[in-house]
Amino acid sequence: MAWQDYVHDMQRCTRCSYCKWIPYRYVRNTNFMEGCPSISRYHWHAFSASGKFNMAYSLLLERIEITDTFLDILYKCHMDGSCDISCKVQQDLEPLQLMQELRMKCVEEGQLIPAHMSVIEGLQKEDNMMQSLKADRGNWAKGLDVKNLTKEKADVIYHVGCRYSFDKELWPVARAGLNLLQKANVDIGILGAEEVCCGGRAYELGYVGELMKYAEHQREAFQTAGVKTLVTPCSDCYASFKVLYDKIGKKLGIEIFHITQYLELLIKTGKIKFNKKVPLKVTYHDPCHLGRLGEPWIHWQGKEKKGLGPMIIHDPPKKYRRGANGVYEPPREILRRIPGIDFVEMYRIKEYAWCCGAGGGVIDAYPDFAIWTASERLKEARSIGAEAIVSACPWCKRNFLNAIKETGDKIEAYDLIEIVQSSI
Amino acid sequence: MAELELEKIVGSEYVFDHPTFLDEYAEDLSFNPRIKPKGIVRPANTDEVQRIIQWANKTQTPLIPISSGPPHFRGDTVPGIDGAIIVDLSRMKRIIRIDPKNKIAMIEPGVTYGELQSELAKHRLCAYMPLLPRRSKSVIGSTLEREPIIRPSHHWDSTDPFLCAEVIFGTGDKFRTGEASGPDTVEEQWEMGRFQMNPFGHSHIDFQRLISGAQGTIGMVTWATLKCSYLSEISRALLVPSENIEPLLELGYLFTRFRLSGALFILNGLNLACLLTHEPDEINKLRNLFPSWILFTSFEGYGILPKEKVEFEETDFRMMAQSCHLHPQDQIFGVKADDLLKLLSRPSTEPYWKMRFKGGFQDLFFLTTLDKTPRFIHTISNLSSLYGFPSEEIGVYIQPIVQGTSCHCEFNLYFNPNQINEIEGTKKFILEASKEIANHGGFFSRPYGGWKEVAYSKARGTLAMQKKIKQIFDPNGILNPGKLCF
Amino acid sequence: MKLPKEAYQALEDIVGPEYITQEPEILDTYNQVWGNKFFFDEKHSVRPSAVLLPATTEEIQAIVRVCNQYQILFKAFSSGFEYLSLSLLHGKGILLDLRRMNRILEIDAKNMRAVVEPYVSVYRLQLEAAKFGLYTGRIGVGYSAGVIAAECCHHGCQHTMVFTSGYGRNVLGVEWVLPTGEVLRMGTGENGEDLFSADGPGFSLRGILRGRTGANGGHGIITKASVKLYPWYGPPEWEQTKQPGEVLSLGQLDDVLNGYKVFIPTFRNLDDTLEAAAEFCRAEILYALGIGIIGAEVIPEGNDEHWAMIQKMQNADPDQREGLDLFKNSVVLVIGGQSQREIEYKEKVIMAITEKWGGSFLPQYNNQRSLARAFADIIWSTGVNLRATGDFLPSSSSPDGSPDMLKRLALLEGKVKEKYEKSGAFMPVGSIEKRMVSWRPEEHLSIGAQGISTAIYDPFDPFSLKAAREFINELFDPRSQFKRFGIPSRGGCLQIEPVTHVHQNWGHLYDHYDVWLRKIKKMLDPNTVADWTAYIPPDYPDYPKEGDYVLPSYGKEENNF
Repeated sequence: MAWQDYVHDMQRCTRCSYCKWIPYRYVRNTNFMEGCPSISRYHWHAFSASGKFNMAYSLLLERIEITDTFLDILYKCHMDGSCDISCKVQQDLEPLQLMQELRMKCVEEGQLIPAHMSVIEGLQKEDNMMQSLKADRGNWAKGLDVKNLTKEKADVIYHVGCRYSFDKELWPVARAGLNLLQKANVDIGILGAEEVCCGGRAYELGYVGELMKYAEHQREAFQTAGVKTLVTPCSDCYASFKVLYDKIGKKLGIEIFHITQYLELLIKTGKIKFNKKVPLKVTYHDPCHLGRLGEPWIHWQGKEKKGLGPMIIHDPPKKYRRGANGVYEPPREILRRIPGIDFVEMYRIKEYAWCCGAGGGVIDAYPDFAIWTASERLKEARSIGAEAIVSACPWCKRNFLNAIKETGDKIEAYDLIEIVQSSI
Repeated sequence: MAELELEKIVGSEYVFDHPTFLDEYAEDLSFNPRIKPKGIVRPANTDEVQRIIQWANKTQTPLIPISSGPPHFRGDTVPGIDGAIIVDLSRMKRIIRIDPKNKIAMIEPGVTYGELQSELAKHRLCAYMPLLPRRSKSVIGSTLEREPIIRPSHHWDSTDPFLCAEVIFGTGDKFRTGEASGPDTVEEQWEMGRFQMNPFGHSHIDFQRLISGAQGTIGMVTWATLKCSYLSEISRALLVPSENIEPLLELGYLFTRFRLSGALFILNGLNLACLLTHEPDEINKLRNLFPSWILFTSFEGYGILPKEKVEFEETDFRMMAQSCHLHPQDQIFGVKADDLLKLLSRPSTEPYWKMRFKGGFQDLFFLTTLDKTPRFIHTISNLSSLYGFPSEEIGVYIQPIVQGTSCHCEFNLYFNPNQINEIEGTKKFILEASKEIANHGGFFSRPYGGWKEVAYSKARGTLAMQKKIKQIFDPNGILNPGKLCF
Repeated sequence: MKLPKEAYQALEDIVGPEYITQEPEILDTYNQVWGNKFFFDEKHSVRPSAVLLPATTEEIQAIVRVCNQYQILFKAFSSGFEYLSLSLLHGKGILLDLRRMNRILEIDAKNMRAVVEPYVSVYRLQLEAAKFGLYTGRIGVGYSAGVIAAECCHHGCQHTMVFTSGYGRNVLGVEWVLPTGEVLRMGTGENGEDLFSADGPGFSLRGILRGRTGANGGHGIITKASVKLYPWYGPPEWEQTKQPGEVLSLGQLDDVLNGYKVFIPTFRNLDDTLEAAAEFCRAEILYALGIGIIGAEVIPEGNDEHWAMIQKMQNADPDQREGLDLFKNSVVLVIGGQSQREIEYKEKVIMAITEKWGGSFLPQYNNQRSLARAFADIIWSTGVNLRATGDFLPSSSSPDGSPDMLKRLALLEGKVKEKYEKSGAFMPVGSIEKRMVSWRPEEHLSIGAQGISTAIYDPFDPFSLKAAREFINELFDPRSQFKRFGIPSRGGCLQIEPVTHVHQNWGHLYDHYDVWLRKIKKMLDPNTVADWTAYIPPDYPDYPKEGDYVLPSYGKEENNF
């Protein structure tokens, strides 16, 4: 649906402002009841999902135009979907989809954010979002004894994504993930320098063409490699392969796993066993793209109709994505099984988890905002006495590390892979 | 001239200007200066009240509304300036309607507690009583003064039990407040099931809050509806003695917090003695027996399971008392709590209980919170020695109000009105004490006599706003000039 | 329109450039709210000239002074979830978004009060107060309603008022920036003391604070308020949970919280239901009461799921269909107690009254899950009822009064509404044949109850919208049968005077209250800078014409300059 097609949503946004908060009935600590980093940081209503409906409606009625202010508001948003989840507890509206369509419209009309333009140029040239050289993509795996799928066959492909490929500080995590899978005798391989971006982040910035392009490329590459299963330690990549490709009609036709899902299987089947205690009080941060945004896409085509007089219903009935079917339990289950770990939950979790701050292109264009959002999350982790915050996505870890460096926060940031590795 | 005009309105038999009458209204038992009114008029109905106020506006005549009979104690019914006409509303004595289902009484200003209680009892209702009001006290007068009632959990708001009223503003305009404000006559409203029970509004103003606590400076009420309580089928009362007030305050907090529905207040031994007996000697005898402090409470049984209600409340109350290390008693030194409860359901017998000990008294009351009352008791005690006022001649009455969120704290300074030195001592003491109390955070929500200077010196913004409001409802300043900040 | 440069600069100097905007993209997010279409014929009301985010009372004072200097209208709001709180008379007006003023300044557990700033929501205060064994009632606009908005500024009513009162009855102190820029602190607050009384010295200035309806920003800005708190018998914390894979709207309590019990008796007919409900209230046992409003069933995920549920019920056998109507004669009763004894007594009373009026406890309502659901629904909120059609109209005049009056009004109004429901313009609530009557008791029913009924319509469906307007006009024609029932405030006090002229049309019927109100407006706001769209103008304009109660005179930016 194009942005204009959400006109009924624009009209029917009541301004209840529930999009600004986590769903109220799940609030347990009033210091951590906000859900949307954008409105929390910038205050103006425009920064909320409701504000986006309002801006879109004004744009549709030609009361406003796309200006720098418009772009600033639209892009100072992590596209984390918290608003979408809260809104849908109250209303049948699609704020996140509208925001996505608005970004696509901006790109289509050449209304671009300079920082994002550089990133996209890099992507177009080097097939990654990290403004790095394609040739260096496989360096993270240097020295590892792993099948190269351009030359060998394996059942499973390990796709690490752009962040792991080029963020040296995170390489040990990517390597550890692979190592865990290999140790469990998974027949696995990588594409190395031939791996390319999933296109998901570009799509979030509004570059739909890039997503199409990479979806097609991946499909072909995976078919050529002959893999049946994809495992990724990156939640962004997971959401792209699992959700976005399906959304745009480019399903990969292979099984898609986030590494936490796969590790859980291996642990449950006894292929991974924990030997060492990890004496650490940890909390788990749900990556948006693994959690609520990792919920499978639900295709629907139909029309709005009326029932019981003016009640708004659909033919055929429309099932909304309300976040319930994201990946929430596997990482938690793993943490619970690791000996010595004292696992405590934060106040904003699962569907209504607070974002790490890296998403939606914010880390590229508005690094201070990215740090702010991460710092808010670290505060929450500290408030429940956690010594470490564990996530399952390199973007989260990167942003938490940045925030820790910036703020001097006394908390550790780990990927779940690292915790698992420590206990083996 | 004034007389003639007024006679035209109310009839010659209800206009008085004989010096004897004028003298009666020229002063009361407070220390306010004596100012003789020009005349007294006793209207019979709303129309007459309205015409009197319209006349006063034309002639710039000050009007002093009075609804209670004598004796008066607070100076609010004594003219503040010369040339005033007393509008004595005590002839307006109709109990217009009692609604047993909705528990409402509609009455005129001349109705006293004794009269109302008798009538309500026929309908199995009772009035919310202040602490033993004097026999001549007007129910509407007491309610408009925001006199605290003794059942704090039923005191939701400071205006309770006041609901709606018909009022003639200082402009001479008639208005009905809250749900009563139209359309149609009151009788027509009844036909529609509208019983003038909802106090809010009308619209964006709570008019009833502007006429209560106003000492008659905004308008004259010609009828009001009051919420009433069920008359208990069965009641129980207890006395809780204590040498220290703090545990009683804790108990008071528990009682109000959990909304036990009966009466609750705290008195010192002297005041309890004054309530119970008439002669000074007997009072002295009793107060010497009594502990320093006594909390009185009752449990009221009404509704579908009255007995069970009393049982549960009493048992819970006893548990609360236990948690405060207190021991509730059915009687202390021969004084039965149940007998006191009966006493409290009616006005004071004669003489008025505050006049029994020494003949004269002055009240000093203000609002605070229960936890701060010991501070004020201490202050008064210190001041009494400083000013030579015998501290053993000070009564104390503490009444939680507005469901325990604050309390009415009252000191009764008893003195012999025939002793000049005692009068002078009391005068001085009360003035200084009021200043000290204000300095310690006591709030003179109902400022009478000399307290008004103390109160308004700390409420400049309120003063300015009240003057503007007065300008709207009584632009010519004819209603009770000299009172409040007017 | 843009503000004069020097005016904007003066405002910017007060709050700093980060907290003022005149960007149209942002401004246009402050004039779109539910209900606008009905009132203003478009989703947008007047676009403000600027929006500010002040942080302190002093800043607000300074802003208001600038408004006086440059003749700029102002209005402040907290959650902004109401057209009243965002509508401006004309474009030379600013809005003050108070979201930065969000502190709970004090909870005095002993004296049962809380002092809050404007952006503290009711639910947030409920959560914090519960830690001290205290509670603040709720009003009908869901979790996000501001405490100050509810207590000091707007109309609002809900089922807990039987125990917690409302309508300004809970106000113990106020800090109020008047339209002149002066600050009025009522009662004890003026002397810097604890905010335990706002009354006096002398008569209470609460009299001009809000009345029944709330001034809705028409006479200044409340920057701080002290409010009464009530006992909370439950635990200091609680959790509403759901199973993995379930949608969030299914989250609920596992059981009614300790310290409380819920009962849902069902009676044989409307009269018995209402009589029993009144007796429950007057027995002084209730913490909350809902007549014919049972949140005991599962909340549907969305409209399509709701529709499927309805269809399933409609296709059910006649016995089950009969069961559907039972909810109208059912009453949700919540009791709480500080002791087991208290709960037992209250439970006995419920049983006795239920038996007296021939009621019974149906298992479909009185099971653990349903009771827990009903408890959460009635004590906190389930949100706002806007999913079905995107809007609703609190259609009756929502008066307060005796239960008898409210019943007559509801039945009368129901008859009028029936034709619109039958035509498909309104979504029927329950069956058309068996009309529901509901009211919300105040203070154990000792001061009456509020009646309410709603018309659920779709403002962006022309047929439905037209019907809604016709319906409201029929209800609010001052010559109609409804005038005698109560308060002429259109749509649950959600009225916009420049459109509806309620004060102008109805004031004379109600002892000319409007004359006094206009005088107060003039007194408080000599330069008419506090936006009066949801209050009263100092002087009426020439309109309306006879019989013309919805005028297209509002909402156009070019007006009134």
